[in-house]
Amino acid sequence: MSPVLIGSAGFVLLLVLLLLRIPVAFAMFTVGFVGIWILNGLQAATGLLASETFALASNSELIVVPLFILMGNVASVTGMSRRLYEAAYATIGQVRGGLAAATVIGCGGFAALSGSSVASALTMGRTALAEMDRFNYSPRLSTGVVAAGGTLGILIPPSTGFVIYAILTEQSIGRLFMAGVLPGILLLTLFLLTVLLLCALKPSLGPKGPATTLSEKGRAFLGAIPILVVILLTIGGIYTGVFSPTEAAGVGAALVIVIGAVSRTLDLRSFWQAARSSVVTTASVMLILMAAHLINPFIALSHLPAEVSRMLVAFDLGTYGTLILILAIYLVLGCFLEGLAMLVLTLPIFMPVILSLGIDPIWFGVLVVLTLEMGLISPPVGINVFIVKSVARDVPLSEIFWGVIPFWCAMLVTLGLLVALPQLSLWLPGMM
Amino acid sequence: TEAQELKYANWAPPFHTITEAQIDPLASAFAEGTTEGASLRAFHGGELGAGPADQYVRIVQGTADMGWGLPGYTSSQFPKTLIVELPGALPLEEPGYAALWRAFDAELKSEFPMTEAIALWGAEPNILMMKEREVLSPGDLSGLKIRVAGSIAAEAMEALGATPVQLPMTQVYNGLQTGLIDGLVSGASVLSDFKLNEVVSTVTTGPNLGRLTFYTVMNKGVYDGLSDEARAALDEIKGEPISKMTEEAWVATADKALEEARSSDSITVNDLDAAASKAFDDALAEVTDAYVAEVGGEAALAAIQGQ
Amino acid sequence: MRALHKFAEGLIRLSAIIGTLGLLFVVAVIVVDVVGRNFGAPLYGAQDLVMMTMVIVVFGGMALCGREDGHIVVDILEPRFPPRLNRAIDLVAGVLGATIFVAIAYTVFKSAQLSQMLNLSSNLLRLPTAWFQYALCALSLIAALALILRALITPRRPHPAQETS
Ligand code: NA
Ligand code: NA
Repeated sequence: MSPVLIGSAGFVLLLVLLLLRIPVAFAMFTVGFVGIWILNGLQAATGLLASETFALASNSELIVVPLFILMGNVASVTGMSRRLYEAAYATIGQVRGGLAAATVIGCGGFAALSGSSVASALTMGRTALAEMDRFNYSPRLSTGVVAAGGTLGILIPPSTGFVIYAILTEQSIGRLFMAGVLPGILLLTLFLLTVLLLCALKPSLGPKGPATTLSEKGRAFLGAIPILVVILLTIGGIYTGVFSPTEAAGVGAALVIVIGAVSRTLDLRSFWQAARSSVVTTASVMLILMAAHLINPFIALSHLPAEVSRMLVAFDLGTYGTLILILAIYLVLGCFLEGLAMLVLTLPIFMPVILSLGIDPIWFGVLVVLTLEMGLISPPVGINVFIVKSVARDVPLSEIFWGVIPFWCAMLVTLGLLVALPQLSLWLPGMM
Repeated sequence: TEAQELKYANWAPPFHTITEAQIDPLASAFAEGTTEGASLRAFHGGELGAGPADQYVRIVQGTADMGWGLPGYTSSQFPKTLIVELPGALPLEEPGYAALWRAFDAELKSEFPMTEAIALWGAEPNILMMKEREVLSPGDLSGLKIRVAGSIAAEAMEALGATPVQLPMTQVYNGLQTGLIDGLVSGASVLSDFKLNEVVSTVTTGPNLGRLTFYTVMNKGVYDGLSDEARAALDEIKGEPISKMTEEAWVATADKALEEARSSDSITVNDLDAAASKAFDDALAEVTDAYVAEVGGEAALAAIQGQ
Repeated sequence: MRALHKFAEGLIRLSAIIGTLGLLFVVAVIVVDVVGRNFGAPLYGAQDLVMMTMVIVVFGGMALCGREDGHIVVDILEPRFPPRLNRAIDLVAGVLGATIFVAIAYTVFKSAQLSQMLNLSSNLLRLPTAWFQYALCALSLIAALALILRALITPRRPHPAQETS
């Protein structure tokens, strides 16, 4: 069997195992390990199993995972996130789907701040889901909003996606960041419209709240002050260089713990439970990330993306035809692979093609990063969907996948607009 | 028997200097030097496993047959090799590869167990790259937060009065922009490799701040198992020849980045003369002496310096 | 058998406690480092401490995660499968997961021996890498034990859709 066939068989096996309800991480570990064993020998497979698990577990950037979960858990048990949502409800609760819209904006802001989609989905998931549930929002809408909204982290600058793309393709990071601004705002707007449209079509998804008086609004807002202070300090700290976005997770967690302790909303027992549950959630998220790092070398060894891409790009489809074909390849690969790994596997093949067609690499970068975002929520391997599932244990995964579909469509519309109107991406960097 | 395909693990992107400078020449050495067609296939961007810190273990465990890495990322394994990185250990214009190979057999080889060393080389000299700060004397560094790559650079920055900060390279761009760090100490190639030329505003050259070193190793069993023809083809280029090629390409990339910085309106390059550099070099001499004494590296230092 | 079960439950709890303490330690290290750095005195080796403790945090929670069915599954077809098939899948998943954790423990154990031979340690504080690799092995084995117990002894939780409908 040729490596490409083995790679394809690996995808099929992964799909079957997942549908058979084998835990996602176990299925990915199995396919990755066996695939590497077949393609590169047992020694290579065991070596990778050891080095990737330890490397991911000791990765200094992934420390945001347990820290942001802890911050979300403590904000939740101390009632801080409840007060935040009460304030939001008092302000825009009368609008159908208002809280979901507020959550989208929260995701966008958090994403812009942390630069990480995983961190946004985790923190917003921990903060927002239970609260939207309290106000009778359907879990399908609320989990969909958080899973999709969290992906904004790699489009709205500063974004790890752009940094990696820039380094891989020798493009300017500053110009890519600028290029991501308008598309990020466009996508955020389309997400908001999607929420409002869904709730207009089916009001039970995000029911309308009662009207509130000005004093009720004021009181709700006062209650939210502690958490707003934490948010402002964390944002301010990152933008003034007092701490890095990674450290912000630790500082944010410490702040909510201190505020909880001082205001006596956090006792030792609930604190310990919040911390312990953070560790359990961390385990399930990190195990999937480790498993994804075993799938990547397997796919690299199978030469699958390279061969398929080379074959498809060989058709002469003209500039737009080729561009759309490449984006389609990204959408398909995004169903199985973790975003950034996909860039490494494919950009060396696509960049020469893109450049020879005279396609602006900055524009292409925006399009590619948007397809990566879509991959984060595309089944069967949608990392953000898994992350939301890890903090919403009682919601079936199928429900979350149904929930993200409208947002995935909004992203496809955005992608179409960005392809049709390059100026949306290129106008701002052109002013630099 | 089937033609042998050797796997080269490259954790850097495919456009990185290493590809043209080392991987391609090694690949053509195999292609041209063998008739039964032993070949080298590179896996870029960490396709065979992500972190550069695990490269040595990856080769020993056979995940890849060959690959390159930085001794500084696992400094405890390479106490004597790292002497080449110390401030003032070598004059700035002296090549690092020659010093490393001079000392290899007698002093450094024991730090490379279970592998065959293919290449050892040095980077361009370290320089200071700052945002909105001009560094002309050690006093200008006082209290500034400087990103460092490892423990030696950390001690060097402390000796100059700065606060060393550890930060992943991909976060340096944003870190400079927000003021998380005031600058960094590294070779000039990062200006282009990591796009730091967009955020750095002053560069200081002149003081001897040491340099980074690199290794390329091959799994010992794989090396011993090569066909006579393939091993002869590799031996032809391995050691000083391929190391020299790699280092020269490294320095050329850095020179180009520094030239671009000089001609850029947004970056000021301060080339300190010997007199101005002396204040830095004197302060750093203690760091170097202390390190050499701590690792018992007097003989290694002498060999590196060719004494 | 009951004594063994009790012993295993104790190990699972202990593993989670160690992970939780690790997480709180990381928070403290980051705060001390950030405050110190902005006053010109960063915590020496903060990154070493965070990275190495992270191993304990991540693997400390694995056993309890397995014990509580915390590993994420694609449950789309579950309501359509007959209960016996679902039961069989649980058994297979548990055994597969346990096998993976044993494999992780075994391969990381081999790496730990290599780390000792290569004298690998964290860059600033010289914390031996092997210590944390051995810790990972031990915590992995407890996670494997938890999955086996879960698959063999405890009855499964019904699918949320079945629960609510
Ligand atoms: Na961002
Ligand atoms: Na996906």
